[in-house]
Amino acid sequence: MTGAPEPVIELSAIRKTYTKDAAIVHALRGIDLTIKAGEFTAIMGRSGSGKSTLLHIIGLLDAEYQGSYRFNGTPVEDRSPDALAQRRNRDIGFVFQSFHLLPQLTILENAALPALYAGDRSADECREVARERLREMGLLARLDHKPMELSNGQRQRAAIARALVNAPRLLLADEPTGALDSKTADEILEIMLELHRGGATLIMVTHDREVAEVAERTIHILDGQTSNGMV
Amino acid sequence: MARRATAWFRLLLRFAVDAIVAQRGRSLLTILGMAIGTASVVGVVSIGLLGREYVVGLIEGVGSNLVFAYGTGRGVNPEEIDFDDVPAFVAAVPGIQAIAPVLRTSELVPIKGETQQVAILGVTPAYEQVRNMVVESGRFFSEREDAQGAKVCVLSEDLAIELFGSTYPPDASLRLFGLRFRIVGVFREGVESAAAVQKSEAAGLAALIPFATFRNLSDLRYVDVVYIQSATPQAVPGVVRGVTDIITARHREISNFKIESLDQYLVLAQRVSRAVTLGLIAISAVSLLVGGIGIMNIMLVTVTERTSDIGIRLALGAGQRAIMVQFLLEAAILSLVGGVLGVILGAGVPFYVGWLYGVAVPVSGLSVTVAFTVSVAVGLFFGFYPARKAASMNIVDALGYA
Repeated sequence: MTGAPEPVIELSAIRKTYTKDAAIVHALRGIDLTIKAGEFTAIMGRSGSGKSTLLHIIGLLDAEYQGSYRFNGTPVEDRSPDALAQRRNRDIGFVFQSFHLLPQLTILENAALPALYAGDRSADECREVARERLREMGLLARLDHKPMELSNGQRQRAAIARALVNAPRLLLADEPTGALDSKTADEILEIMLELHRGGATLIMVTHDREVAEVAERTIHILDGQTSNGMV
Repeated sequence: MARRATAWFRLLLRFAVDAIVAQRGRSLLTILGMAIGTASVVGVVSIGLLGREYVVGLIEGVGSNLVFAYGTGRGVNPEEIDFDDVPAFVAAVPGIQAIAPVLRTSELVPIKGETQQVAILGVTPAYEQVRNMVVESGRFFSEREDAQGAKVCVLSEDLAIELFGSTYPPDASLRLFGLRFRIVGVFREGVESAAAVQKSEAAGLAALIPFATFRNLSDLRYVDVVYIQSATPQAVPGVVRGVTDIITARHREISNFKIESLDQYLVLAQRVSRAVTLGLIAISAVSLLVGGIGIMNIMLVTVTERTSDIGIRLALGAGQRAIMVQFLLEAAILSLVGGVLGVILGAGVPFYVGWLYGVAVPVSGLSVTVAFTVSVAVGLFFGFYPARKAASMNIVDALGYA
């Protein structure tokens, strides 16, 4: 990579307030954050720190916030559900703690889902791309299995294959190793490092210091703010 | 672009079918509810149509082309329809195919030692066709016998059975007006309905004799009733008007006549049966409504149960529209399958019963179309709210973060 990498995420003065049980909760109190292409960033914080809220905003899952958000150089202006859905579909791959695979679909169908919803390619082409991503994750022998028939590690690898199927600009992982034993967790982190080495932009939310150390950069969130001196 | 939209739709259709199949037990029960609703609508319309066909058949059996004219009461009415009116009708009113004036009296006839009252009707040979009479045995009298004033008679079925115990009487004669009338045949009404609607003078014990013979032997100056057959059902109103005009022109104003056709009965019967059918449809539509509410209920449960599924799909970039369409399709498929089964049930059972009993049971194509369309519309209507609920879910909550 030569020259200064383009910023993928530019957040400035992001605030999020909601009411819970008649009490006003300031979940985020002015977050400024820039993430450049190819970076592997860990967002760390205790539960309730606001790190998940931040992830939802970065992942365009939550459009109710104040402040400015530029994704891939352009401001996120159109916050209509369908516009956000399209952006999530094309530009962001999600990896969740509890995998969030659809239990009634096979691994292949699960992995093909974002491509199918994108609607750019025929169903056969979508499955072909999904098969290729699953092959890279070592799941070629498991294409027709349902998630229930796989180990947790295999499930998370299937979920990563699904996240990559539309070749997104950004991979968002929310506690990707939270439900895994340490050996499997290491496997998953190795895969993420491999993706990072291949040039992917990754953001990983975790509460686990050891996991965060894998990333090249760690941002600490405390009480809805990036804690000073550690960014 | 169109191809892409088709592919998108097919994808959502597949998701919808997958979801229905995944919960087949529940889906079947929902479909059953819709099927019963649809079947009851189709069935009820068939019953209504059957009733209407029966009544209309009765009336048409008497003759829907028939117009009849009569004075409104002997003795009270100064003038009745007279012998000269009849040719005047034929000459002046267009659209008359046949005309049959009837003279009537009655006589006590000894039957098996008892005297019984027998109606004697003087009719022209056209009466047979105009009144839709069936000659059971022998023959009707001819134009020639009528012209000659021959002493022949045709007996009603009832009279023949009373006299001879059979509708095939021996070569015999009957004493009327003090004279011997040779029995040439036995008739019955073409449709029992003539008696049913109480418009038959030939019901019960009756003997028909030639019009001219009656006229020669009796001092009656007036015709009891004139039957006029119009060429087509459409010509009936014109014939009624024409006959009315002639009568008004030829008789004094104070005389009262009735000129009627069965059209009014036909219209009435159709109106009544339509009202009854509509009422029944309204009642059976309630079951369709209940089926629709069943769909909404199931869809709401489904949406709640599949919160996580919906959240995942939304997160992966299925738009609200895709979720909405998927759930609408699920509801529409449930109601469509229910509708098809209902139509098969609602039309099939009447068909089968009709086939068993050799009755042609009418199944209205319209009712099938309507039931079909309505069932899908019900599915979409009652599926809309759950589908919107699914599509507008908060993704973060749906994913289980809340």
